Amino acid sequence: MQSVIDYAIFMLDPSGRIISWNAGAQRIKGYAAEEIIGKHFSVFYPPEDIAAGKPDWELEVAVAEGRLEDEGWRLRQDGTRFWANVVITALFDNTGRLRGFGNVTRDMTERRKAEQALRESEERFRFLIQNVIDYAIFMLDPSGRIISWNAGAQRIKGYAAEEIIGKHFSVFYPPEDIAAGKPDWELEVAVAEGRLEDEGWRLRQDGTRFWANVVITALFDNTGRLRGFGKVTRDMTERRSAERALDERGRLLNHLIHAQEAERRRIAWDVHDDTIQSMVAVGMRIQLMAGRLPDEHAAAISRLNDAVTATIGRLRHLTFRMHPPEIDRVGLSVALSDYLAQVASEAGLMWELRHDLDREPPPESAITIFRICQEALTNVRKHAQATSVTVSLSSADHGVLVRVIDDGTGAGPSYDGPARPEHFGLIEMRERAELAGGWWNIEGRSGGGTIVQFWLPTPPAGGPAERYRPK
Amino acid sequence: MLIGDDEPMIRDVVREVLEAEPDFDVVAVAGDAEEAIRLAERHRPAVAILDVRMPCGGGLHAAREIRRRSPRTRIVAFSAYGDPAVVEDMRCVGVTEYLVKGVPNADLVAAVRRLATAG
Repeated sequence: MQSVIDYAIFMLDPSGRIISWNAGAQRIKGYAAEEIIGKHFSVFYPPEDIAAGKPDWELEVAVAEGRLEDEGWRLRQDGTRFWANVVITALFDNTGRLRGFGNVTRDMTERRKAEQALRESEERFRFLIQNVIDYAIFMLDPSGRIISWNAGAQRIKGYAAEEIIGKHFSVFYPPEDIAAGKPDWELEVAVAEGRLEDEGWRLRQDGTRFWANVVITALFDNTGRLRGFGKVTRDMTERRSAERALDERGRLLNHLIHAQEAERRRIAWDVHDDTIQSMVAVGMRIQLMAGRLPDEHAAAISRLNDAVTATIGRLRHLTFRMHPPEIDRVGLSVALSDYLAQVASEAGLMWELRHDLDREPPPESAITIFRICQEALTNVRKHAQATSVTVSLSSADHGVLVRVIDDGTGAGPSYDGPARPEHFGLIEMRERAELAGGWWNIEGRSGGGTIVQFWLPTPPAGGPAERYRPK
Repeated sequence: MLIGDDEPMIRDVVREVLEAEPDFDVVAVAGDAEEAIRLAERHRPAVAILDVRMPCGGGLHAAREIRRRSPRTRIVAFSAYGDPAVVEDMRCVGVTEYLVKGVPNADLVAAVRRLATAG
């Protein structure tokens, strides 16, 4: 007992005066036995504890309950403080009379520092994760439900923590991935191989898509039991657009689409400026002749004039399908608004075009957007039995986001599935968007009606895609 | 009347259609916007029939200038395009008759006569 040095072990008389002292006590507190024996043990307490009456209170508790344990600051002989774990035990004789107290004190300063450093480090790390905004970092329970959320996750995916915690992580996947069972498959691979990395389209809260790099890590405890998954997601939309533009295949594809559109535009303009004008002049001449020829030719001339008029109509329709001239002359939004007005008046629909584009999209994007809208509006007119249609164009993710919304009978997921192979227009719309490096989807609205939405990247003018433009 | 159109076939047939009317007289024919403006200023026609897309500034420029230099001249737009934005632009410079090429000759004649008698 005397030579124990890790613990200060000493005894107090019933009034709290020190009556024994060991080597550990001398080492921890600094006093030699002859300096301290006979003194009241309150000398070890800082002034604030003495003012609060803590030494006497501790003895009272020890008497009442047999022992007392406390952690707190104590003083050394030189006035410095150490963090102490103190156990005071009341000592009674056979008759139940209090004979004094045993006091065991341990210097916990180092351990306390280490614990505090660890706690602070954990807090800093948690703070770091919570505030990282470039990455969505969150955890899933073993069944795939979201149990934590950070600032990056909110920024990238749009949900606030309280909106998403508890939901299954498959809400981030597009319908086609869910139909293919991809979310569960990814967790299975992560369990089997420890981690899984994937790149693909994911959904934001507002239904728009972003190109994600995703790493899922399976988390096991010491016993090897699966505790959940860590998921780190990065928004790569912008980088993907840049890489696609640089990628050889992407450039070739762009070149082909551009060459095709340029040819169609040239033919459309030729037909419009030359052929149609000639036919107009011919028609006007026929009408002039009608007034000058004898009556017996009237019927024939009239038929001839009708044929010319019908041909002009067909040629105009042809040039429109080849390349709507309005896109070149007045820009995408005006061309779309004119087209929308025409379709809506034929079908008796209310319509609205909203647009807030930063700039006019480049011609190859403009024509693709126009074509997809054309298909979508054809579906609205033929199948939706809608009373109104809204088209919105907005700048998003360095591209153009387009929504065609109607209030008709609704399409729902089956519209998009293999059950409706007759709707080739849907496949064509999707292919056009994907060829241009974007995405496309169709879904039913909760209140009835259908939303077709798609996004196309718009490479900045002068970017790599421009190099193949014919001069 | 004055005719402004860069397509000779259209120019010629419009002239014949108008001259077939006993009360109409075509005083000038222009192949571009500047020529149309110059001739309108010189001849002060009652009505100018203008193509919308033609060289040297287009029908919009020609209409604006003719209205300024020959205020009594009324203008018929005779265009291959019927898009509302273009129609609206022309209306803003005072063009109230807008015909898309391919309408019956009688419609063109009626529009010209409306403006000529109104003036």
